[in-house]
Amino acid sequence: MSAESAEIHDRLEGFDTTIHAPNRLRICALLDAAGEAEFGLVQKRLDLSASVLSKHVTVLMDAGYVEQRKAVRDTRQRVWLRLTRRGRDAYQGHLAALRAIVGPPDPAL
Amino acid sequence: METHGVRLTPEQAHAALADTEHVRASAAALSAAPWPNWFFVTLTLYIAAIPITFGGFMADPDWLLPRSAWMAIILTSAAVYLALFAVAGKAWRTKTGVALRFDVLPKRATVPLAVGLPALVVGAAFAFRATGRPVWLIAASLIGAAVSVGFHLAFVRLHRKTP
Repeated sequence: MSAESAEIHDRLEGFDTTIHAPNRLRICALLDAAGEAEFGLVQKRLDLSASVLSKHVTVLMDAGYVEQRKAVRDTRQRVWLRLTRRGRDAYQGHLAALRAIVGPPDPAL
Repeated sequence: METHGVRLTPEQAHAALADTEHVRASAAALSAAPWPNWFFVTLTLYIAAIPITFGGFMADPDWLLPRSAWMAIILTSAAVYLALFAVAGKAWRTKTGVALRFDVLPKRATVPLAVGLPALVVGAAFAFRATGRPVWLIAASLIGAAVSVGFHLAFVRLHRKTP
């Protein structure tokens, strides 16, 4: 195996089937960029129902990728979501795997 | 290409990356929401006051007020500023629904600010102490206020880029 193909193989190892589900990938992208986001905001931004978002968040929490914090706002309890260190690493690894699949940009373009 | 049992074409991977980039850009624009106007004014006034108060504290002999009075003003204004910052930060988080981040602007803008503003304050105070001319403090104060306005406008511009 050449050094280049070994490097691509390593990057593909970062592919994460838990994250790859489209909505979960988008949730991770939003949390990675925002740092921490309120459940209602994630729902609105990604155009998901509360139950669908809740289901995906549960999967991500079970994997140890997302953690939640509860806070009271306007007398109502709000849930804030954030990526854990492990989740952030897994998300970055998954992005690297996707880039490896896409391949290098065409120098002719 | 098959990865961990998932078959993915380069086009599908490209589409997934494009989608994440769209979400990331949207969240980044949200994180760039500018401060409420009342706190923007507070911040600008506070930055503008720092060179004057620090210059007064450094003055030898005393300028306008005794040194201890300048120190009291510095400490009081810092305490008031921090309290208002906490209130504004909480209001900002409640309004935007995202965490307050300090890495929204590019480092090429924030690093010169982090180095330049303290240098401006200290430099103006020493120049005033050496020459006795308050124009140094006034100039530093005006530059600080201009920087505050410039950064606020940069945040407004970034925020408007929400996809």
